Amino acid sequence: MTALFVRRAWCAVGMLIAAPLALSAQAATGTIRGKVTEASSGRGLAEAQIQVVGTRVGALSQASGEYVLTAVPVGARVVQIRRIGFQPVNKTVQVVAGATATVDAALSVSAINLSEVVVTGTASPTEKRRVGTSIATVDSTVISKAQAMTVDQALQGKIAGAQITQNSGGPGGGGISVRLRGTNSFISGSDPLYIIDGVIVDNGSAQLSDLGGRSNPQNRLADINPADIDRIEIIRGAAAAALYGSRANNGVVQIFTKRGLIGKPRVTFSTRLGTNELREQQPFNFYPYDVNGNPIARFNLQDDIFRRSPTYEQNLTVEGGNDATRYFVSVNATEDQGIIRSTESRRQGARLNLQQQLSSTLIANVSTNFVTTRNQLQAFGEQNDYGIMGSLFFAPTQTDFRPLNGIYPLPPALGTNPLLAIARIRNPQTVNRFIGSAKFTWTPVPKLLVDYTAGVDNAAFEQGQFIPRNAVLGTGPLSTGQSQSVFQNTRVLNQDLVSTYSWNPGSEFEWKSTAGLNYTQQSINLTQSGANGLAPVGELVSAGSVPFGAQRRTQLRTLGFFGQQELAAWNKLFLTAAVRYDASSTFAPAQRWQAFPKFSASFVALENRPGLLNSVRLRSALGWAGSQPGSTNAYSQFVTYSNSAFGGRPGFVNDVTFGNENLKNERAREWELGTEIGGFGGRVGVEATYYDRLVSDLLFFKPLPTSTGFSRQFAPIGTMSNKGIELLVRTVNIDRKDLRWESTVTYTRNRNKVESLNILDFQSAGGYPNRIRTGEPAGVFYGSYAARNCVTGALLLDSLGRYRRSNQTADMGLTLAARQALSGGTCNDSLNKVIGDPNPSWLGSILNEFTIAKKLRLRALFDGSFGNDILNLSTRAQNAGIASNSKSYERELLPYGDARKLAPNFNGRTQGIFEYWVEDGSFVKLREVSASYTLDWAPVKRLFREGVDLTVSGRNLWVWTKYSGYDPEITLFGTNAGGFGSVQTTSADRGIDFGGYPIPRVWSVSARFTY
Amino acid sequence: MRIFKRCVVALAATSLGACSLDLQNPNSPTQEQVTTSPDGVIALATGLQGRFAASYFNYAYMAGVVTDEFAATAAALISISDAEQGLVPPGTGIADNVFNSLYRTIRTADDLLSGADRLAGSFDAGTRSGLKALAYAVKAEALGEALQSYQRIPANTFGVTAPTYVSRAEALPIVRALLDSAAAQLAGTAPSAFFTSSILTPGVNLANMIQVFRARYARMAGDDATALAAANLVARSGTSAISAFTFPAPGVNPYANVTGGTNGIAVRRQFRTSMLPQDQRFGFFVIPSATLFGRIQTTPLDPFSTRYAVANATFLVYMPDEALLIKAEALANQGNLAGSQAALDSVRTDCTGGRGLDDPKACLPALVGSLTQAQLLTEIYAQRRYELLGTGLRWEDSRRRNAIRGPVAAPALPVDGQRCWLPYAIGDRNANPNVPADPTEPAANPAGVGCPL
Repeated sequence: MTALFVRRAWCAVGMLIAAPLALSAQAATGTIRGKVTEASSGRGLAEAQIQVVGTRVGALSQASGEYVLTAVPVGARVVQIRRIGFQPVNKTVQVVAGATATVDAALSVSAINLSEVVVTGTASPTEKRRVGTSIATVDSTVISKAQAMTVDQALQGKIAGAQITQNSGGPGGGGISVRLRGTNSFISGSDPLYIIDGVIVDNGSAQLSDLGGRSNPQNRLADINPADIDRIEIIRGAAAAALYGSRANNGVVQIFTKRGLIGKPRVTFSTRLGTNELREQQPFNFYPYDVNGNPIARFNLQDDIFRRSPTYEQNLTVEGGNDATRYFVSVNATEDQGIIRSTESRRQGARLNLQQQLSSTLIANVSTNFVTTRNQLQAFGEQNDYGIMGSLFFAPTQTDFRPLNGIYPLPPALGTNPLLAIARIRNPQTVNRFIGSAKFTWTPVPKLLVDYTAGVDNAAFEQGQFIPRNAVLGTGPLSTGQSQSVFQNTRVLNQDLVSTYSWNPGSEFEWKSTAGLNYTQQSINLTQSGANGLAPVGELVSAGSVPFGAQRRTQLRTLGFFGQQELAAWNKLFLTAAVRYDASSTFAPAQRWQAFPKFSASFVALENRPGLLNSVRLRSALGWAGSQPGSTNAYSQFVTYSNSAFGGRPGFVNDVTFGNENLKNERAREWELGTEIGGFGGRVGVEATYYDRLVSDLLFFKPLPTSTGFSRQFAPIGTMSNKGIELLVRTVNIDRKDLRWESTVTYTRNRNKVESLNILDFQSAGGYPNRIRTGEPAGVFYGSYAARNCVTGALLLDSLGRYRRSNQTADMGLTLAARQALSGGTCNDSLNKVIGDPNPSWLGSILNEFTIAKKLRLRALFDGSFGNDILNLSTRAQNAGIASNSKSYERELLPYGDARKLAPNFNGRTQGIFEYWVEDGSFVKLREVSASYTLDWAPVKRLFREGVDLTVSGRNLWVWTKYSGYDPEITLFGTNAGGFGSVQTTSADRGIDFGGYPIPRVWSVSARFTY
Repeated sequence: MRIFKRCVVALAATSLGACSLDLQNPNSPTQEQVTTSPDGVIALATGLQGRFAASYFNYAYMAGVVTDEFAATAAALISISDAEQGLVPPGTGIADNVFNSLYRTIRTADDLLSGADRLAGSFDAGTRSGLKALAYAVKAEALGEALQSYQRIPANTFGVTAPTYVSRAEALPIVRALLDSAAAQLAGTAPSAFFTSSILTPGVNLANMIQVFRARYARMAGDDATALAAANLVARSGTSAISAFTFPAPGVNPYANVTGGTNGIAVRRQFRTSMLPQDQRFGFFVIPSATLFGRIQTTPLDPFSTRYAVANATFLVYMPDEALLIKAEALANQGNLAGSQAALDSVRTDCTGGRGLDDPKACLPALVGSLTQAQLLTEIYAQRRYELLGTGLRWEDSRRRNAIRGPVAAPALPVDGQRCWLPYAIGDRNANPNVPADPTEPAANPAGVGCPL
């Protein structure tokens, strides 16, 4: 009771921190106006921040670069002019009461910018130079140039320390996962916390009906229009994210949408038209004879499944405003047809962002975004009853799937007829989502800043499904047809209050104290209705005769308080100490309240010096953060019972997953050390960071003795570390009037290791060889291998030249002695071993951008992953006896005497040898390429103020890889969800290619008009 | 400005209420909700009967596969055809199912016992007596099935983090004591009408079931007097003589689930062909076939009859004539050969219409002449084989008759039993340090051997 009272009291105190303070200050003032330009081109620079140092007078430059500062206190004033990507400029000016002074500034590009203002993880807007951790920032131009369907797609290859993987290539951007500094948790995905305009948003990838088992058709960040985004800040780990407490272990991605440029209304219309296509077909068995040597016809199903499909996008924005009011309105529509026939994704959205100065001390910012995403998907991945990709890989090529007399023939053993699925199976999704926030910024006195944000993310997600009767093999319920309608409403509400007070104890020192609180409530309500036994006509649930249904409600709440103290000395040394005190409803009351401290130091050794070495900063930080299980395990602290009706009566039995009445959060400790160095007159910038993170109390299912009547408990099972290096180098190679060449190179190296487990090694993904094993990276492939001669290293073959499987006594003998005699040593003693590692050794990217005569811009982004293995279960499926459609199987059909001939059942026997299916998954992709030209002839400019930008671009155009499957990037397991149903998966499970949706190659042309 | 102030105040006020982090799980009832309310405890009794039906079936299925009763159908998993040859490596799903489901049944029985005691005041005496008798009986039978499958078993598991394993000599008295407690409950206070009509699954006769189980484990302990006494208490005719679980839709009789698919089994044809030509009992269990073969192609099979293979068929908790066969055996052991032969004859001569029960009917003639004790015991074993198919008792019978051969590849015709014990469940081994090493199976021995207890 006392604890509850204390918490309520805290809550009350926190809420009332913002109690109004009386203030009024009237003094003589003057005005400053001027224009900010880009030094190299002389063009006006919009969005530059102009601030009168020591006052709260500030403004942003308009699109033309012009700005006005009013009510500037008289006297000698320093005006600071800053913009992302440029070196800041300070100018001194004498302000006279009632007069207007002029301050123009020409900013030079800087490859390194320590004055950039960030807010993520820092509690209040803070210059980068003061922050002891690395923060990655990406601005709107980088996102718009990517021509990506989704935000996360646009970030691929841009962030050091991030592994951004497109897990599937479905329409609307596919499913994408973001890993910052490796895998840090086995639960709730390892995806970072996403915040849009202060609102924590849901990036779940829930499948409400089975669209591919644990595969990842789409994650909900796909609802966000990339064109609305102004800026993204990314903090990668515990040290930087301690202020987000028990949710920050995987890092934080904070997205800021556009606020509108000050000035006359600007109308921008952009349109994009493109095509998606399969990059290349897979080889199949097209051998024109069967196993008995008789001629047969074979069919290439890929021609019937894949297509070249169009993609469209339109964006209309109107923005403008003055010092008191700014607005940004956008309307957006996209339609992306998938390369698998009958799949598509359409998104229509609107946004209104409004900033209003309510009084001289109070600013309100309101963001509203409504979006409707409508998809029509086809199952893939693990879904082998009606999934298209599984049906492709498991179907013999001699099966003629074309309908006969209106009836689509079913395959002989597994899957469905893909033509039938394309023609008749439907999995429509509709997401109606509203994300809105209101933020009040109050500066009652210049030194006190109070921010209050309230936000909501409400998504109504409807998943339909229609599978006609006789579309699925067998006699199970699915074969009688299935119709489903599943509704899930997800709502995230959050409130943030931050107050910051700065003061200067002496001219050399500056103190900043921050206190804040955060409260988040997430609720997920799901209702499912469905039926099997469908009537011959009718696609709705009511057409069924055997109904089923379900309902589930989940709620999660998190309450946290934090305090932070910063000390700046001589504007060179910055020390920060902070602590977040945090509790989540998921955890047991006694374990719930946890403190997450952080300490950081930043030392600016050099800044903006002329010459070879311009800026040098050193930084280091140590911090703690936690992670919470997702909604699936929201109630794991409770010992619960399951319904178990018997004999027509309701009954209860103990749930075999035993509740953990001491459940507590995972806890990460991270230390990082880094530097930023700028040189060659601002033309070279280097950011480098080393980090070392240890996550303890990793949560997962701990086996319980089954003799107790339970089988597992959600509990701490061990520790895991991630250590690595992040490097980002920006260079301006050529900077002339008619030619500018810039490059950005990133390098990411992460070493993951499971440090300790208090349970046995375990297969983390039920049914797949990913394994959590002490001393190995999380998710290594562990399984059977082809035995080798221990002396020569040559493969041990049987009399027909087929491999011997390590865990098969028929191949290796019954006893260990027999194995060793066969092997000539002890190298094959174990039945299974580590056979691969899906974690890359390193990731890298190179972006080159050329600007020719200020009008033509060319850019190319190469993005690569190196040293990661892939388990090619797609080709394994092709080799299964029922399919026998692989290129390799062709060689079994060859006549004896042919040198390429393989022994009968050579391929069949490889099914059980998992090592055989491990391939090097390293790749380099030409991720983005584009050429833009600005039409700015006078007649055009008369119609369109800033001319017309024409762009030709491509995504995923080429891939250099040894990997034999469709795409080395796709992987079975998704992002946040454990998948459909309750099959076990961890977020360590990667590198499985099993019936993935190939990532399309995209070509597009686009045009942008600004009125 | 004023609006802002009001907003802050209103927000602070509303947020206070919402700040509570103590949420309830609306999706599943908690332990407290179930075990502290009469409704919850009654629902536990229903859950217990469901779990008991499932665990009894898992045991009977596995016992049938490792004896000469059942074999894998063509579509079955390789682990099932391996098991029919006696190969059951640790971690085999169908074997671990036996252990895991039995101990889930035991857990629920313990839950019910503790709930019935905790809420003693909320139930009338007859209802409480019925609940406790049911829990004791079901827990005893589950433990008894465990000790017929594993060399050593955990006996005390309720609220124990790492249960310890005890030998059969230690476990069997525990089983018998539980059954005596069950009988004593009913003897002390008769179950209420509410218990019998609304809690006990329709079709189950609790008193009869308890006495059959008492006789069964008394026989196993060699306590002929108790076995005889209990067998004599079992009703022989009328509806009270039958106890069967029913499966109204959407429930499914567990045998109906394994007549095809990857868990598919069928009865070895040799069950039918080895009977005396006049014996009619095969018709209860199988539909004669000449064409059905198992996953191992040399295994001729007969598919299950519609008493088993239909989704809503009933599932007998015990075969009514088991009591007669136990009686015959006890009498034979005690030297009352005439009484034994009479009991045996009533099983042999049971014929259509007989005692009015839907049970296997041999329709054989009575035995001719007076049999010796040894002849009687042999005949009892033979009758047990044909009368008790699919109850799991065959395994213990082959064990006590030293007719276990040990694993052997593709037996043309198996002896009575293929292996002594199942390996301990991997789910217990991985989390419980007290799990003993798996017992060594006897080397293949065509004559059959006994199993070390």
